[in-house]
Amino acid sequence: MKSDLDLAREAASGQEAAFETLVRRYQGNVRGLTRRLTAHAAEADDVAQTAFLTAWRKIGSYRGGSFKSWLCTIAYREFLQARRRQKPEVTFDESAHIIGFDASAARLPEQLDLDRALRTLPENQRICVVLCVASGMSHSEASEATGFPLGTVKSHVNRGVAALRKQLASDHVA
Amino acid sequence: MMQSDEKYDDLTALFEAQDEALQNEAFVEQVMKPIYKRSRWRTPLLFGAGGLGLGAALSQMGGLLDLLTARALAVELQFEPVDMTLTQSILAEPLWAAAIAMVVLSCAAIIATERA
Repeated sequence: MKSDLDLAREAASGQEAAFETLVRRYQGNVRGLTRRLTAHAAEADDVAQTAFLTAWRKIGSYRGGSFKSWLCTIAYREFLQARRRQKPEVTFDESAHIIGFDASAARLPEQLDLDRALRTLPENQRICVVLCVASGMSHSEASEATGFPLGTVKSHVNRGVAALRKQLASDHVA
Repeated sequence: MMQSDEKYDDLTALFEAQDEALQNEAFVEQVMKPIYKRSRWRTPLLFGAGGLGLGAALSQMGGLLDLLTARALAVELQFEPVDMTLTQSILAEPLWAAAIAMVVLSCAAIIATERA
């Protein structure tokens, strides 16, 4: 299996098939990230798609390191841009195309609890937990992506993780 | 990768299970469709514009050679001051202007479609 760096280099030289392999490899992570940030499946998929297209345009600037973190940073920035563009009032888009997923595998009870618990966190805490715990970014990578100071990121992650555990434990007892 | 003071592998495993369930070939196709579509017209456009520019330039080669030959003879006879500026020369031959425009357009197309 080719490494991310090899595939990225091939993609940078114009080989679409190499980029397709990267999309296939990381689509779950990116879609998961955007769903946790937006909490709307259709909007999340739009952000994820835009993030991959941006990654395709910028693939030449990837210089190694964690490709997943590089991609998640792009996805997070696309999420911020999408949120800035959003109108104040929320309208229901009937034409929105929602790509389905394996509901039986995705909707285990503990995962429903996890989604619910995640939504109870304050936004900045949720963002740090999503980037570091769910997407596997380091604290410094998350700090760079969000612009939060490193200490703030660590604090948000620690508090967020503690709150998630507490919430999940109480859901389990109830 | 993670530089956490606290371990949260249990939570990470739950998130990873969710991500795994999101794998969907339709999404990959949706992402790749505009990329493949763009690459389909990019190559013909570049080669087409480049070919037109090259053709226009080659079509002027005969005239250029005649001009050089005539000039070479004139140089043997006498030194003449250049009485036309470069701009005037280009304007006098519209095909040269077209050839230059084609080359500029080709370069612009390459720059516009090239990734960072």
